[in-house]
Amino acid sequence: MSAPVSVNTFNANPTPGNNFYQFSYNVASGSDRLLVIQLTMANTVGYSGCTYNGVAMTQLHSTNRGGLSQRMAFFYLVDPPTGNNTLRINFSGNQWNPISIHARNFTGSGGIGNEGRTGGQTTPNTQSLTVSQDSRIMATACSVNAISTIQIPQGTNRTFTTHNTNRQVGTGAISASSGLSAGTYNIRTTSTSGSVTNDRVEILGLSSSPTTDDADFFMILE
Amino acid sequence: MITIISKIELEGTDNLKYTDVGYTSEESVINQINEDYDATLGKFLGENRTKLEIGQVSISTFFTDIAYVNEARATVEDASDLGIAEITNINEL
Repeated sequence: MSAPVSVNTFNANPTPGNNFYQFSYNVASGSDRLLVIQLTMANTVGYSGCTYNGVAMTQLHSTNRGGLSQRMAFFYLVDPPTGNNTLRINFSGNQWNPISIHARNFTGSGGIGNEGRTGGQTTPNTQSLTVSQDSRIMATACSVNAISTIQIPQGTNRTFTTHNTNRQVGTGAISASSGLSAGTYNIRTTSTSGSVTNDRVEILGLSSSPTTDDADFFMILE
Repeated sequence: MITIISKIELEGTDNLKYTDVGYTSEESVINQINEDYDATLGKFLGENRTKLEIGQVSISTFFTDIAYVNEARATVEDASDLGIAEITNINEL
């Protein structure tokens, strides 16, 4: 087993002023690649899909957080094209509010595993996620107030990027590169006051497969 | 982290267009670009967001006397393959 390796991140907080926003993004070569993107923006318009080098990404979720007037979404693409290509986010109409964008790609990933989404709860917002051996967890938080911490797992602060979408967003937090042991973990998000959301996604590692160059195989004869 | 510098200009009559024009690690360059953005396009967007949404104001109004604005707030870990030049002085833009 091995944990997924994070290769390159992109963070931005632009005002699209259009019905799409696109940027150049470099996906590294390597096997078992995974490209993910976390998005938060005002819910005046919706997401109508993401593409990378013209290839449609899979929508894990697009969640309307009515209390915060925000839409939060997560898209991913297994084995994306490598190199420098365009990542495009499409909207249902012109978006004149800032959008929070975090993109990241991995090698050595088995794809997307479990996920959990919890709307605004009084800070701290602590939620669990069950993961497989060597997985990593990514998390995002949104609040009216500043995001203070994102802990993955609870008790371990992880770095994150702060964006202002007319609400406060903490994005890009990810658990340690060593990967987690199989089990259930608490993920905690906190804001300076009030309520805060807690969205979490499992990034799978690779299952081990036996090698054929030594004594890993044996046969039972009856 | 490396910061991408984006050129923002009018596309058609009512839309914005972003083009990456360089990257930098110089805080002074980043600050100068973003201070200019905040005082111009950022201010216009902040003051007219709702009117832009309902079509009461066109973004073309802002670009009547100005061709483009730069912003430097997108970050990447590696800009080596993005095909854009490193900017170390604001005058290089």
